[in-house]
Formats: sequence, C-alpha cells, structure tokens
Amino acid sequence: MDGAITPDRFEPWPPGIEPAVPIEGYANTFTHTPALAPIRRPATRTEVTGPTELWRKLPCGDDNLAVVGPGRMALGQLIHIAGRILDEDGRPVRGAVVELWQANAAGRYFHPNDDRDAPLDPNFVGNGRIRTDEEGRYGFFTIKPGAYPVPTPNTWWRPPHVHFSVLGPATLSRLVTQMYFPGDPLNLLDRILMSVPDAAARERLVARPIPPAEVGLGWLGYRHDIVLRGRAATPVQP
Amino acid sequence: MTAPLPTSAHTIGPFFPQTFFRIGDNDLARMTADAPPTARGERILLRGRLMREGGVPCVNAILEAWQADAAGRFRHPADPEAALADPDFLGWGRAWTDADGAYEFRTLMPGGFAEGNQRRAPHIDLWVMASGLMRQLATTIYFADFAAENTADPVLALVPPERRARLVAVADGEAEGMRVFRFDLLLRGAPEAETPFFVE
Ligand SMILES: [Fe+3]
Repeated sequence: MDGAITPDRFEPWPPGIEPAVPIEGYANTFTHTPALAPIRRPATRTEVTGPTELWRKLPCGDDNLAVVGPGRMALGQLIHIAGRILDEDGRPVRGAVVELWQANAAGRYFHPNDDRDAPLDPNFVGNGRIRTDEEGRYGFFTIKPGAYPVPTPNTWWRPPHVHFSVLGPATLSRLVTQMYFPGDPLNLLDRILMSVPDAAARERLVARPIPPAEVGLGWLGYRHDIVLRGRAATPVQP
Repeated sequence: MTAPLPTSAHTIGPFFPQTFFRIGDNDLARMTADAPPTARGERILLRGRLMREGGVPCVNAILEAWQADAAGRFRHPADPEAALADPDFLGWGRAWTDADGAYEFRTLMPGGFAEGNQRRAPHIDLWVMASGLMRQLATTIYFADFAAENTADPVLALVPPERRARLVAVADGEAEGMRVFRFDLLLRGAPEAETPFFVE
C-alpha cells in the first residue's frame, strides 16, 4: 500500500450518523448492546494501522453474483452496483477489500440460519469479494434482492438491501453497512434504516440510479459511494 | 470540495456468509490461508466464547483480530519501524462463532512498543460484529505474563480498576504444543461482568 493514502487522523463520529439503539422490534439490539458506555481511548498505533495486503488472505475478484456458470443465471432483475470507497477527505481508498452479500430475488439468503419459506435459487449464492482499484472503485454484477420479513412479533419488512463489509487501510476504517434502493416505499418503514437519526445520513445509504449508457443495457445500474473514517496527514499543529 | 461524512454503520445481521470463511482465516501468523505461519515468536492459541445478555451464546458472529508482531512492529506505513516488521506475519485474522458462541484464533504472542513517551503492553485488538450490534465493538486483550507492562499501559489505565481483569486473557493449559489463552466476552451484563469496550 502507498503510504501517501494512509490516514493518520480519525475524528469521532459526527452527530446523527451512528444508529440510535436499541431498536424497537429488533430484540438483538436490546440483548447485545453493552449496558455501559464505551471507554473513550486515544487512537494508538494498533488502531491507526491495519493489514496492508489483506487480499492475499481474503482472495478477491469474485464480482459476479448473477452468473454462476455458463448459461446459469440467477433469477431476478440483473443489476450492477458500482462506486468508490473514499476517506473523510474524499480521497480514493486503494486496495480496500469490499465484501457484499444479499438475499436472492425472493428475499431468502443462502444461509443455514435462514429457514423461511421463500424459495432458494439454485443459481444464486449471493456473496462476492473484490479489491478497490487505484481510483478506489469497486463494482458488482448481481440481481436485485427481494424484501423479507423480520421474524418477530409485530413484524416489519426489510426493504431490498445489500450488505457491505469494507476493510480499509486501518482498523479504525473498518465499516459494515447496508445499501438501499431509491424510491422503495419500504425504506421509510425500515426500523434499521430509520435508526440513523440524520435524514441526510440515511439518504447516503441509498444508491443512485445511473444512466443506462454508463453500464450498458444488460444491467440496471446503481452508483453507491462509501466513506470510511480517516483523514490524510495534516499540517503540523502549532 | 466539501469533505464527505462517514457512511453510517449497520449490523452485520444474522446471515454473514459462511461461504466467506476459509480454514486459516483465523490464523494471524499466516500471510495467506495456506502459507506457513511465521517462525518468529511464540505460537499461541486464543479461545473463548462470545455471549450476550444472560450468558446466552452469540451464534454466527464474527471476530476480527489485529496485533503487532513478536517484536512489537506493524508492517504498515504508520509504524516508523515498518521496514523491520516480520515480513511473514500478517497480524490479522477473522474467526466466527459456532452454536456455543465459541471462537478460536491462532497467532503468536505480540510484542509491546513505545507510543510517544509511554509504552503499550503486548496486546491484541479485537472487533466484534454480530446481529443486533449496529456498529462493531472494539476491545483489547492483554496477557498476565506482562503484569508490569499492563500496569503502565496507557489504554488499560483508562479502564476502571475493577473492570480490568475482564481484559486479561486467562492461561488455559496447552494444546498442539502451544499455550492456550481463554478470553470470553459478555456483550451485556452486570457492570463488573460486562466486557469493557472502547471507542476512539
Ligand atoms: Fe439482510
């Protein structure tokens, strides 16, 4: 990794961006969230560093979830999700490992813990991993995931969404998040999305449609940029 | 250009793909899943359980660990001694919990290092991601081998004295020729039982 892109400053989370917990109707947010406030610590070397060649450990290049083999296509609306991984100065994060996973078009995950009745798609596993390029870009070919109900009394439906796990240049840059689709009426009813207090921060979790000319006619295109914590080297303080 | 704001964190949810896991992911001493572990340092096993309120195991959670090499160096541009760091040591690993909430890491005993005019005791940083955790939790593992270093560690000093023992791994015999250390985590519980977590 190029030292020039390594952040050395990490601001506290700005207000309104972190989800407010616990979330009504999501029992695990009550039982898993610590009762005591976290202890504020300075960022020492362990937190501002991170593995620089993680793609050797976590092999990357699996960017097509929709095509599992010759002539074997997943069911659903074919989509392309692309964007950039940036830091808090808007600089591209090169060599970040980006993991994506999602439900199939019927809203079912290929996962032993998902035992709902919605059908599995034999041609869809639904996860991929890539590494950002020199401009911080990533891209995945996949299908639009379906909505699914949360298994709880007084349930609600999760809107179509895609899970992202991003491993950046420092352990403090680590981010797990979700991406939503523009205009879905379930977005406003989703207790997880709505747990983000700031409306503009919620809006930044929603992808933007991109013109067909940019991605080709085969795939409905979405753009989604993700901003990791961390800033560039700053001038020496007086 | 206006500086962008960081993207909100969300829970990892209950369905983090098991298809992502490969044998060797939880071995910090291997650069790749099938590379041999580095020869520098004392190989150790780190085992524990992740539990939520009431001591109930957390299933399908993931834990990620990051630490310095045996000499206390990171192979990263932010470490002034990066060029001297062990080239065969990655220092990062990912483990996942089973039906009992149990996890295991294979690594080596980390070294301490100077931080400004203070000194960090040998430690492993650990991040926890689980369904219901809307952002990952960060904690740090210390070792009883280094009692004097622990006392002088500037981060451990921020933890109330009665909670510090929760951050010290417990020696738990040997396995496969390595010392075993146990580090259990309780995400939520009585103040003296809950694992201390940090935020920067
Ligand atoms: Fe989901």
